[in-house]
Amino acid sequence: MNRFWWWVVEPVSRLLEQDEQEAVLGDVVESCQNGPGALLDVLDVVIRRQACLWMGWRPWLILFGLTLPLGMLLSILSRQTSDGSAVYLWMYASNWDAALTQNPGFWHLFAETAVSVFISYLTLACLSWTGGFVLGSLSRAMSALNSILLCLILFFGEIVGAPSYSAFLHRGLFADLHVPDSNAAVFAVSFYRVVLPVIVQILLVAIPALWGYQIAMGMGKLRRVVSAGIWATAIATLAVVCIPEVGLWFFMAMHIFHISAPVGIWAGIRALQYLRPLEFWPIVFLIAHAITQRGMRRARA
Amino acid sequence: MRSTKHHNVVLIMLGEFEYLILSAAVRLQENAYGAAIRQEIETASKRRCSIGALYTTLDRLENKGLIKTAMGDPTPQRGGRPKRMVRVTGKGVQAASEFYATVTRVSRGVSWAVPGRNEL
Repeated sequence: MNRFWWWVVEPVSRLLEQDEQEAVLGDVVESCQNGPGALLDVLDVVIRRQACLWMGWRPWLILFGLTLPLGMLLSILSRQTSDGSAVYLWMYASNWDAALTQNPGFWHLFAETAVSVFISYLTLACLSWTGGFVLGSLSRAMSALNSILLCLILFFGEIVGAPSYSAFLHRGLFADLHVPDSNAAVFAVSFYRVVLPVIVQILLVAIPALWGYQIAMGMGKLRRVVSAGIWATAIATLAVVCIPEVGLWFFMAMHIFHISAPVGIWAGIRALQYLRPLEFWPIVFLIAHAITQRGMRRARA
Repeated sequence: MRSTKHHNVVLIMLGEFEYLILSAAVRLQENAYGAAIRQEIETASKRRCSIGALYTTLDRLENKGLIKTAMGDPTPQRGGRPKRMVRVTGKGVQAASEFYATVTRVSRGVSWAVPGRNEL
């Protein structure tokens, strides 16, 4: 088997558990298979293993109960974040005027905008990391297949889900008011309409989510208290993000179906704003994780 | 797991492929591992043995308690990768022996001579 085929076969074999991956690749090497034969052999084991896993209810529950809603939610948040930042980027990058830099007020506003965009990007990356982490903790046995499914859902979320949601929201919020779209000039530029959302989706959603997934997969058995703390924080973070989105749906329902929600619900949703710092917990977790890993490496040395 | 009680002894019903694996593993003894068992089955049955079927059946046999598997040491001819070593348990020997005895009993008096072309 030449290098090219090895390069193809090895990533496919990662869908197997580590011990089995080693044993199967060893058998393939020992039996001196040609490239396509080796690929078919490894695929044979992978497909049978995955088929066995998907015979139970758990993977389906995780797919429809977590991966699909999470992928769609992250796609929608990604589109909202990229659209929000696109307006500022358009203002500064596409309409740059050197004369503005002479104005002291410009720098104040510029700094404020830059911080706001940075925080929105960081929030999105942290949320994606949290989502990937929760998914990775729940589906260790299904390993890489779930990360592939998450990527596919993010792809379809970006192409179909988020644009449909935005259009629906726009219709629900502004159609009756006959307000002209003040950002039409921004989204007339294809970079802000098409390219920027894809960049944001890849860099701030897909990569952090896969990173969180990998960290969760690689974590050994934790003490029950630590594990419960991590879980509570991760679930609270997702709830802080999801519930206001549900509120948005309530809002649309009120406008479309004229259903009014009790005042207490809105007060509760507004109170969740105080929990928003929770969204940045991955930063604290990653620092603590890095320190622990370093300590363990030192202890081993 | 298909099992049946017969004269107060629990008999585990084996499939044909399970029996082939157990036989190959017993014959190979200390050298029973994935690739060797596959080679043994292909030589004996003159049919291709799928590695996926082999590994899933090994798991099934292990769950039934008919074999035990363990990761061996890495070897250079396998690119430094370990083997999944297989050992047949006493229960596995008993199940294979019962399967063989059943096949022998059920075949008694049966002729499998293939009819010649003129007789068809």
